[in-house]
Amino acid sequence: MEAFQHLMTGFVTAMSPMNLLFATIGCVLGTLIGVLPGLGPAAGTALLIPLTFKLDPTAAIIMLAAIYYGAMYGGTITSVLINVPGEAASVVTCLDGYEMAKQGRAGAALGIAAIGSFIGGTVATFGLVLVALPLTRFALKFGPTEYFSLLLVGLCLVMGLAGKSLAKALVMGVLGLIFSFVGVDPVEGAPRFTFGIAPLMDGIRFVPVVMGFFGIGEILINAEKSLTGVMADGGKVSSFFPRRDEWRISITSIIRGTGLGFFLGLIPGTNSAVASFMSYSIERKVSDHPDKFGTGVIEGVAAPETANNAYANAALIPLFTLGLPGSPTIAILMGALIMNGLTPGPLLFTQHAGFVWAVIASLYIGNVILLILNLPLVGWWAKLLKIPYNILMVFILVFCIIGAYSLNNSLFDVGMMIICGLLGYLFKKLDFPLAPAILTLILGPLMERSLREALSMSQGDYTVFFTRPISLFFLVLAGIILATSAWQAWPSAIREESKEAQV
Amino acid sequence: MSRVNYIVWGLLVAFGVFIVHESLDHNYYGSDFGPGPGFFSFWLGILLIVLSIIQIVMTYRRPAEPLPDGFIPNREGVKRILSIMGALAASLFLMNYLGFSLTMMGFCIFLLRRLGRQSWWLTLVLSAAAGFGMAYLFELLQVMLPKGFLGFI
Repeated sequence: MEAFQHLMTGFVTAMSPMNLLFATIGCVLGTLIGVLPGLGPAAGTALLIPLTFKLDPTAAIIMLAAIYYGAMYGGTITSVLINVPGEAASVVTCLDGYEMAKQGRAGAALGIAAIGSFIGGTVATFGLVLVALPLTRFALKFGPTEYFSLLLVGLCLVMGLAGKSLAKALVMGVLGLIFSFVGVDPVEGAPRFTFGIAPLMDGIRFVPVVMGFFGIGEILINAEKSLTGVMADGGKVSSFFPRRDEWRISITSIIRGTGLGFFLGLIPGTNSAVASFMSYSIERKVSDHPDKFGTGVIEGVAAPETANNAYANAALIPLFTLGLPGSPTIAILMGALIMNGLTPGPLLFTQHAGFVWAVIASLYIGNVILLILNLPLVGWWAKLLKIPYNILMVFILVFCIIGAYSLNNSLFDVGMMIICGLLGYLFKKLDFPLAPAILTLILGPLMERSLREALSMSQGDYTVFFTRPISLFFLVLAGIILATSAWQAWPSAIREESKEAQV
Repeated sequence: MSRVNYIVWGLLVAFGVFIVHESLDHNYYGSDFGPGPGFFSFWLGILLIVLSIIQIVMTYRRPAEPLPDGFIPNREGVKRILSIMGALAASLFLMNYLGFSLTMMGFCIFLLRRLGRQSWWLTLVLSAAAGFGMAYLFELLQVMLPKGFLGFI
């Protein structure tokens, strides 16, 4: 009940004309990012952070959150109309969405995706309201010892679930941590890894790194190939509603997608693509006609689109309550919160309750705005797809340069972004997952501070991590996660070797 | 692919050694009971070295794999990537001399002609919009961009 009272107060703030305006701008920009192929939610959110520099923290985070879930919505449009996913979570939507569009039913595919996304997003936000306060009260018992162990669990999940190779994910996590230590040591004030370069004294900022990895890196990957799609049915979008017989199937798919997306959103290390792929595969398994999947069945669009939006909203729960980002985009939101002087975690609900409830309320409002943007205006979004990617690419690069520069009015950050762009391109080519590096880059200072505070408090006694029950639980959990990931990777390596031995 | 793996993991071993070497310049343990600035980085460097060596050994034990399709871009792809990186590097060095608007205009003209193969008319309109339009938009957002030798653009 207390949570709903806070939520009502949050609505009052979120409904102020300025906050409504920024939520709408965020939804429009987010949808635009989702629509534009080759620019995912992580790069898009990082790219637009400079737009929020002069805003007050509530408006800034409302806008960035709207960009984040707006991008999730927008990715569907390109998947359905040109068979090019705007972001990874929409890849699976291409399978049936594009087929529906070829049959002249693009409107129904986009309509059910928008309705499913609205339901998934709204239910997940309701879940956030329900669990926020109990989880926060539990998390308030954490000291630096527990927080360090919790962060370790988050990192193990991210590394264990990212990419095909655990070793590559671990290496990326380690590299992110090493880069996070660049700058002045927070306890002793000694410069580390600065090599006499003055701008490095402030550390490596995450925005140029994210823009480089996900923005420039993605553009370089796309520059290798031609990114053009054939607009199905000439891009015509008519009736947005499914046939009567499709409603029943769609509703059950939406319910399953909501549950799955919400559950996965709570687990750090998963991502919205996992939610949509798993949801698609579940629908196929429970379907009476699994062989028809891929030929334009509506549940093949409804379930994954619902799941990825439920995921997007549920993923804010670990961030707001525990200060634990589960994906690069959420980590970027966390970075933006820190830039605005707000540390995500349980204290957010006690020290900045007005802010956090306004942001939660804005999620509901954002979902309604997106429904309006996605149904009647989808034809307008479809027109954007006619802009050649080669032109868009140049504009995205210009925006990256401004974004990196405006962070601190420094060309050093632009240079850092360019270097990270090249690194991001190489890492992608070599199949090194980028998510662990971004997460550890943001979490590194928090982890180091927690570890050092915990050890200072225990007078250098390392057993403190094992004698405090919550910390011990988290450490055991971290161990299980890493062991499971290693176990899953190990047999396949052994199998390969034994096969070779037989040959 | 094996040769690529050896190079990548070898570079990571070298980077790990560098990190360990650098971390030894800092206090391993602080003045109080907690670890010092060199503690975390020392162990991360060690972890990087160990992980990379394990991967080198695994690459050695596995039979050579061919490079995945499309791993090395075709000639046109390489040219496009070099054009983008060259344009980015040039804009970084020219920004303080020419200012944001002129640099971005040049950047766009080069890339739109090179990658987009757009007509001169469209290239100039889009480049002016990107250079001067963006500068105006960000001035409105109170973001100061480099002015260059002319002092006003």
